Amino acid sequence: MKNPYLPEIAKIMDIRDEALGGRPIKTFKVVLSNGHEFNHKPGQCAMVGILGIGESMISIASSPTQKGYLEFSIMKMGKVTSALHACEVGDTITVRGPYGNGFPIDDWKGKNIVTIGGGIGQAPLRPILQYILDNRNDFGQLDIIYGARTSNDLCFKNELLELEKRKDARVHLSIDVGEPDWTQFVGFVPTNLLQVKPSPENTIAITCGPVVMIKYVIKNLLELGFSDEQIFTTLENRMKCGIGKCGRCNVGNLYVCKDGPVFTYATLKNLPEF
Amino acid sequence: MGTLILQKDKLKDFLSSLDEYTLWAPVQKDTITLFEVIKDPKNVSLDLKHQAKIPKEAVFPQTELLFSFDKDGIIKKTDSREMKESIVFGIRPCDARSFLILDPVFEGAIPDPYYLSRRNKAILVGLTCTEPFSNCFCTSLGGNPFSQKGLDLIFTELNGKFYVEVVTEKGKKIIDKTSSLFTAASTEDTKQREELAQASESKIKRQINLNGIPEKLAMIFEHPFWKQIATKCIGCGICTYTCPTCYCFDIQDEPTLRKGRRVRIWDSCMFGEYTLHASGHNPRPTRAERLKNRIYHKFKFNVDNFGVPGCVGCGRCISLCPFNVDLIESLSAIKSIE
Repeated sequence: MKNPYLPEIAKIMDIRDEALGGRPIKTFKVVLSNGHEFNHKPGQCAMVGILGIGESMISIASSPTQKGYLEFSIMKMGKVTSALHACEVGDTITVRGPYGNGFPIDDWKGKNIVTIGGGIGQAPLRPILQYILDNRNDFGQLDIIYGARTSNDLCFKNELLELEKRKDARVHLSIDVGEPDWTQFVGFVPTNLLQVKPSPENTIAITCGPVVMIKYVIKNLLELGFSDEQIFTTLENRMKCGIGKCGRCNVGNLYVCKDGPVFTYATLKNLPEF
Repeated sequence: MGTLILQKDKLKDFLSSLDEYTLWAPVQKDTITLFEVIKDPKNVSLDLKHQAKIPKEAVFPQTELLFSFDKDGIIKKTDSREMKESIVFGIRPCDARSFLILDPVFEGAIPDPYYLSRRNKAILVGLTCTEPFSNCFCTSLGGNPFSQKGLDLIFTELNGKFYVEVVTEKGKKIIDKTSSLFTAASTEDTKQREELAQASESKIKRQINLNGIPEKLAMIFEHPFWKQIATKCIGCGICTYTCPTCYCFDIQDEPTLRKGRRVRIWDSCMFGEYTLHASGHNPRPTRAERLKNRIYHKFKFNVDNFGVPGCVGCGRCISLCPFNVDLIESLSAIKSIE
């Protein structure tokens, strides 16, 4: 019987600052020391940790089409994430997983995709973008709606600005409050969604961000004519085991770690706690 | 599979002849009974009345080493193949049934090797309840004070002797090793056991009909009732720590300067930190949400996921609650919500 609690050792190959200031976010590029491929699906998560400190469930921010490494975009928040932020290139951390259901991305082939992210919530959406761009002919139009509190809080900024130059993806950025050099949308993400106004025709919408943002994004998607089954989101909760046993991450009778983190709105709206 | 008699004064011989096993049994400490690994069978207490610890611990310890590590990150795990088989003696029938509720949680798509290796190596020996306690309600949850479910052997105290029922092959193996201590049971013994069983069942005073509870719970998630019942709760968690079907756990690292270990420890859904996000957000911020989740988990979510309630009716959460939060009263109140 495989021991699911034994993590693998991973080496940090690169660290990038995504956001500075009071809520810093760093992206860690890691390689498993035993050479294993992680074989994850976009939307799956992993328990990332440091021996002696602990573990946190973190969404995998890179697509399985990007072979040989994993990326995690992590906001400095609690004990484990603060310790990770203190790490340097060359340090070893631990990784176990992948956990959760992931996005049913192969079912979305031939469809238009719109992702709606807020803040660090862009991290679990990033593997979708990478996966689509690495299999570009399999998918229709790609719209990326993404916002943060300030321009300093926008993750993957350079990547997204590069994407804007491509003809096969459209990027719609926003910040909550205007700044002198900001030329794009000013306001909350759900409002930007109404501005962009994606057509629900043959389209899948995936959203991740603060719970309150998710709730308004879903409301606005329904207003735009999206059905419950066309709307996907990915949730988080405090977790310890990652395999549906330790008890704490339940929403209703479902465990975010094992039955999620990806849910359709059709499932979510019947859960008592959402 | 067979019924036998063991004279009461031979119990010590029976238990000491099984010294190749780790022996768990109830032990008297001051006024309470604990469940512990014992070295000397003469310490075994047959008074199940004040059992403050539950035999769950023999399979799912309150603190369990997951692995240890050193400064180079090398991980060492204890090999479960080296673990001895265990005999857990003196289990109440309700507690025995709790293992059947815990098993599917630790099996599942990703099995838990720690629980399952202890579980597979445990031989469960029950002791029937001839004197049920004031808050016992096992008969409302598909059990009874003489239930064999989940047990390998079950003992009943008759006058000066034990009536022993062999339930499984695993149990038979133990009897075969110690067969010289046992004699065959007579029809008179069996009759006496039947009478005791009936008398015991009739002494269970508390009951709750669970029909309709999951359906009702599906309708009252936002009801003010949850705030009302939570006003009594102080969030001490005793209901979860003494519950034979609770299994929630935490994982913690215990580092020293050059090495450390990762352990898992029982946790409680009654504590705020249990669901607290690092951001400060808490999906279950007050005792009302926590108490509600406990009742939903036991009487709806476990039914949704595994087809049975996550409760065996042992009554400990009622008897041991310092503020008399009474599960049976709560369930009755839920049923009466319009």
